[in-house]
Amino acid sequence: MRKTVIIILAAVFAASCSLDETPYGFYSGDNFYKTEEDAESGLMYAYNALNYLEYLRGIWYVGDIPTDDMYPKSDEPGDIHMLENWTVTSSTELTHYYFKYCYIGINRANAVIEKISSGRFSEAVRKRVVGEAHFLRAWNYFNLVRTFGICPISTKPIASLEQTTSPLASGLMEIYDLIISDCKTADSLLQVNKVFGRTDKVAAEALLSKVYLHLASSKHYGAPSYTDLDYNADDMYANAAIYARKVVQDYPSDYGFDSRLRHIYDVTAPDGPEHIFIMATDRSGTHEGMYTKIPLQFLPNNSSVPIYIKYPDGSLQKGNGNGWGVFLINDDFVEGAYLATDKRRTELLHHSIYDQNGVEITPSPVRGYFTSKYVDPDFIGERTSARPYLIRYSDIALVLAEAAGPAEGYPLVNTIRARAGISPLPSGLSLEDFRRAVINERKLELAFEGNRLFDLRRTASVTSTVQEAASLTEKEAAFYPIPQREVDLNPNVPSTQNN
Amino acid sequence: MNKTILSIILCLGIALPAAAQPGMVRGTVYDFDGSPMPGVSVVVPGTTRGVITGEDGTFSIEAAPGSSIEFWYLGYETLVRKVTSDGSRIEITMTLSSDTIDDVVVVGYGAVKKSDLTGSVASVKMETIADINSTSVDGLLQGRAAGLQVINSSQDPGSTATIRIRGNSSINGSNAPLVVVNGFPMGDAGALTQINTADIASIEVLKDASASAIYGSRGANGVILVTTRQADEGMTSISVKHQTVISQLSDKLDIWYDPMLMAQVTNEEMVNAGLSPVYIGQTIGGIYYPSLIEIQSGQWADTDWIKYCLRTPVTNSTTVSVNSAGAKSAINANLNYFNDQGIYKKDGYGRFNANVGYNYNLFKGVRLSTYTVLSFTDRNVMNGLEYGRNPLWPVYDENGDYFLSGPTDFGHPLVRLSDFHDRIKTTDILSSASLDWDIVKDLKLHTQFDYRYKSYLEDVYQARTVSQDAFDNNGIAKINAGFYNDLLSETYLTWNRTFGSVHSLSLMGGHSYSWNRNRGLYTTARGFVNDVLGNENMNASDPALRQIYNDGYYESKLLSFYGRANYSLMDKYLVTFTMRADGSTKFGKNNKWGFFPSGAVSWKMHKEPWMSALPWVSEWKWRVSYGISGNQGINAYQTLDRYGMEKFWHDGNWVSVIGPGYEEGRTGANDRYFVWGGIMNPGLRWETTAQTDIGLDASFWNSRFRITADFYHKDTYNLLREKYLPLTSSYDKIWVNDGRVLNRGVELSLGGDIISTRDWHFAADLIWSLNRNRVLNLGDAVSSGLSRDELNGFYYEVTGPAIAMFNQNASILAEGMPMNIFYGYQVDGIIQEDENPGFIDPSALLDRPGELKYVDQDGDFAITSRDRVIIGDPNPDFTASLNMRLSWKQLSLSVFLYGVFGNDVLYNGYTYSPRVKAKRWTPDNPSNDFPSLNNIRQYYLSDYFIQDGSFLRIQNINLSYDWPIDGKVFRSIRFYSSVDNLFTFTRFDGYDPEVGLDGIYWGGYPKFRKFTFGVDLNF
Repeated sequence: MRKTVIIILAAVFAASCSLDETPYGFYSGDNFYKTEEDAESGLMYAYNALNYLEYLRGIWYVGDIPTDDMYPKSDEPGDIHMLENWTVTSSTELTHYYFKYCYIGINRANAVIEKISSGRFSEAVRKRVVGEAHFLRAWNYFNLVRTFGICPISTKPIASLEQTTSPLASGLMEIYDLIISDCKTADSLLQVNKVFGRTDKVAAEALLSKVYLHLASSKHYGAPSYTDLDYNADDMYANAAIYARKVVQDYPSDYGFDSRLRHIYDVTAPDGPEHIFIMATDRSGTHEGMYTKIPLQFLPNNSSVPIYIKYPDGSLQKGNGNGWGVFLINDDFVEGAYLATDKRRTELLHHSIYDQNGVEITPSPVRGYFTSKYVDPDFIGERTSARPYLIRYSDIALVLAEAAGPAEGYPLVNTIRARAGISPLPSGLSLEDFRRAVINERKLELAFEGNRLFDLRRTASVTSTVQEAASLTEKEAAFYPIPQREVDLNPNVPSTQNN
Repeated sequence: MNKTILSIILCLGIALPAAAQPGMVRGTVYDFDGSPMPGVSVVVPGTTRGVITGEDGTFSIEAAPGSSIEFWYLGYETLVRKVTSDGSRIEITMTLSSDTIDDVVVVGYGAVKKSDLTGSVASVKMETIADINSTSVDGLLQGRAAGLQVINSSQDPGSTATIRIRGNSSINGSNAPLVVVNGFPMGDAGALTQINTADIASIEVLKDASASAIYGSRGANGVILVTTRQADEGMTSISVKHQTVISQLSDKLDIWYDPMLMAQVTNEEMVNAGLSPVYIGQTIGGIYYPSLIEIQSGQWADTDWIKYCLRTPVTNSTTVSVNSAGAKSAINANLNYFNDQGIYKKDGYGRFNANVGYNYNLFKGVRLSTYTVLSFTDRNVMNGLEYGRNPLWPVYDENGDYFLSGPTDFGHPLVRLSDFHDRIKTTDILSSASLDWDIVKDLKLHTQFDYRYKSYLEDVYQARTVSQDAFDNNGIAKINAGFYNDLLSETYLTWNRTFGSVHSLSLMGGHSYSWNRNRGLYTTARGFVNDVLGNENMNASDPALRQIYNDGYYESKLLSFYGRANYSLMDKYLVTFTMRADGSTKFGKNNKWGFFPSGAVSWKMHKEPWMSALPWVSEWKWRVSYGISGNQGINAYQTLDRYGMEKFWHDGNWVSVIGPGYEEGRTGANDRYFVWGGIMNPGLRWETTAQTDIGLDASFWNSRFRITADFYHKDTYNLLREKYLPLTSSYDKIWVNDGRVLNRGVELSLGGDIISTRDWHFAADLIWSLNRNRVLNLGDAVSSGLSRDELNGFYYEVTGPAIAMFNQNASILAEGMPMNIFYGYQVDGIIQEDENPGFIDPSALLDRPGELKYVDQDGDFAITSRDRVIIGDPNPDFTASLNMRLSWKQLSLSVFLYGVFGNDVLYNGYTYSPRVKAKRWTPDNPSNDFPSLNNIRQYYLSDYFIQDGSFLRIQNINLSYDWPIDGKVFRSIRFYSSVDNLFTFTRFDGYDPEVGLDGIYWGGYPKFRKFTFGVDLNF
């Protein structure tokens, strides 16, 4: 009888003590994505992936450093010179992190798509959140496919060890199909909703037009790996034109050209008419990623005394004096590519710095040209609100011009040129010559905004344009190798992938 | 249901016979294990009346009320009882006398006679450590048990010890043994500060699997069982113990005593580095640096900074104990106040402990015991005062203000003494209630309920004068708090029966449930208008510079079932089998339950006829055991998925954003990269240790000489480690079970009562332990991110702290080698003038005369990372201790020696030490032992910094006198004095060779020589 009592007692204890562990003090799959606020918060976590230094710096490290517009200062430590000199390997730190953060963004977007698609949320919230998540997934895959080529594909949130080895895409088109389908889903779910730092229907259409243009031109110009793909370049140009046209023409009350060149880059006006997608950061943040240090990369070091940039009209713009001057702009690029009167040169590129009274500082610590596209006059120490554009209106206008050809393109290109204070393009260019002219205009207009490498790759002109890549074949320059850790640990990725 | 039990208890109680006959006293005597004890002499002192207890332990004897009755049995303590006026029955339990060889040894969930032990269990004699002063009780165990390694590397007041049983076996989990106080598991050993030494009856160290596997998933690192005193039945006694400890430095501090030499050396190291000399009579940053000639003139300050930083620390400890027992109840109370001064001024630790034990015999066979501990500690932290400050700098400037070398000179000791505040207060409450019920003959129930609450509160204020952070941000205030709750419910049944004289069986089975919850809250504020309020009002700070974060919160539950069977055949062959099943919330979903079996056999060979013929052999017992135990290693929630949280700038506001993947740490230069964790691993489980032990217990000549020897093989696998994941997973690492570490060793304890006469006694105990540790497996080289040694081809990973001097971690874990070995370059003396160093340094800095001559292992004439080899092993070859006690009548002297042999120590900062700098290489003094001075030289980690850390220490000498006055007030008085750390024999050049397990010498808090004076008064 006593034993029975003991056994019963033990059983009571056992029952009262479940061994299931409930999270305490942190969020997990069990207690999150339940409310509409969770949905919004989870979505913005996916946006936030773009803000990490590892990813953010790729805009220039990948987009501009390897090209003809920019080079790093010679004593900058780290792997930046591998990008500059086209000696990137599977062990290059910068591409390793860039690759990794593309997938962090993808996993966060996948989590939102999976959890919010099925939960009990209002239709409006569900559409917006899931739509933007599709956009973000497409955005990250587009960065991947342009940078690394064929990559592993993951469309579900990764939550267990078994799911950590994603399969390799069967080919480039599998990735493009996913990107296009995500953009179209986003386009169908989203409304026009212009919010600083977020994306909307227009952003989805803008991205889609860029994707189609990348496919079209890659095929058209014979970019390796694209030539054998089964599609027609002109169809893709047409698709690009359809979506770019929507962006350029359909939403004039929200999106359009900013007629004032410098205003485009004014940190106090991130939500100007050119804004389609811009990175959301602010100098009031407490750590890097919340704020950025982008100006420090460009601005020369003036022993921590704030510098002033002098515009042709005599006005002064204050900037950090504690810059590192890492990103130096090629003299040839400035002096050879731009007309001397081009405002994009006279107002956005500088070779001298001034004190608060407008007196030039001598001897000058400036080592090369630097740009004022990223200057925050209200910086706090190293903290700034300088924000890179991820997609802006002029980019898409040029996409339309390139895709649609001269008839539709002339006015767009010439609007941009007029804003820069230079004469219109010569009229009567052939389609081919016009496209070349548009691509050249992109180089001038979108310089240091992370587009140049991809424009060179999709036109198969890396090796002919970039001195440091001259000894490579266009195929070798087409993609960077998949990082070694992925090759080592994901059995689905062969060691020869993209090497 | 509980009512049912209660009524059963009540019925039994009422049914008790209460016979009383005038003049006749009746009663029953029980053995320590509760069984009736026949053959006990029961006498009335001063009379001729005496009887012997019967088979059932009962007796009856004529005694007047108020008189005493004495109970005596060979090998047992003699007990005395007063006869009450109502002539009620006397129920008495005999206890074994402490000097009996057949001591009772406490094991998990029970106690056995030492002679019946089948596992490896070491008992620590409390009298050997009772007089030694220590913050934590377990720190006193150094050298007191074979296989037990205790490192007291810090003299910080309130500091605790590092304790290991049979080596390190875990890489990422805890390696500390489990401490269990009166059946209540308290966690990692080393910090048992709540229990007063005077209140401890015994300490047992469970070493092999047969002994420790009953603690299941917490037993792998061994178990230390602490049992507090139970009030002895008998008269009321009060004792007061006081001790005062006066400490001094055990070695000279390594600082500049001669300012002239300092200035010379400083100039030389600047010039050699291609910089301008300092002491040439110039002003730098507002501070005048006199020239050597000016210094020689003697007009400059020669400040003795030691005087402003250090003091002669005095430690006081006072204990009052009250011990009283009646027929039904007994109380044992201890109050202790302990005040430990640090050597730095204002550095100190105070503690008040109250331990109260109470036993009450509710009914015959039902005993209720409670044990309560209250402990309050108060630590005032004031360390790191710069006693090595430049002696040329005065204390005050010409205006009478503190002399500072610049606005960011935070080193002035007087400034720090007044402006740096860090105070930690803790409250610890431990409450335990247990019930022992002898249900029927042979069957007993033990049930206990324990609760522990601990709180922690730290107040910090750094004025802007004491640190760069405080200077930049106008003061830093912190309030940190932690709260810990532990609850344990435990019930087990024990059944003992002897069948005839051949078979004896004992079974124990029970269950326990424990619940644990910790919380922490940390707040920091910066930006104060002035320093007046300190951290008293955090709202006085700049709102933008406030941080609140909580951490260390977790909740876990552990549900266990366990059992043990002991079988003995003819008291000659013994078998033990134990089993425990642990279910923990911490374990992964797929591995909620762990099973930990063990078995042991033992053979009392001395009971075999052919051996019992040898009269000089008292005991010869073989033991063999094997078992599986676990190490919980895993933290709460480690197997779950965990989301991260960031702030995102959304439409003009910061919002909290949440999702999969959380920041587990940082990596890369300046910690710029996040390490992403948070992916679940539902298969995660405990670390498993399989241990084999072969042991021998032998004693000779009536147990006058004793030997215990053990060989063990301890294989730990399923080590918790982090594995890298593919980048596309979006996570960096996942916790998995792989990796394997082996510990093998030999332990030897020799003891002897060498001289034993009426007045003279001389006894000695030698304890010798050897452990060999080897990392067998670190998982898959690629996914574990192992590096490969290019010269010899082994795989390794770096471990331990990064050392700024070398810009790298000192230690590695390498497959096939002991844990934490040092990895670096070899140095073969100093490069001399006109000598070819054998390598070329592209910077032309390291191949000059006077530099360290690194060995170019791979012969490529350059010093590269390929030239690194294993340069040292911090694990000792063996440790040994010798305890000798000599007594003459009431005077006794004990000497305790402790030594660690064959370990290497990395002397961090060796070449920065003034002693070493003074002996530098110069062209005129072409030393082959000390490099030239160079202020900007980058040192590689090399064997130049590795020294033999072996030492033999005269750890304690104690002289005491027992004065048995037996007066009206005092029963006895005992005086003693002792010296700790009297002298250390070592070749190590640093201040003291006793460093942490990783073998890295950091300088740190100087070690003391302590002089203790104590008195024990017994009333």
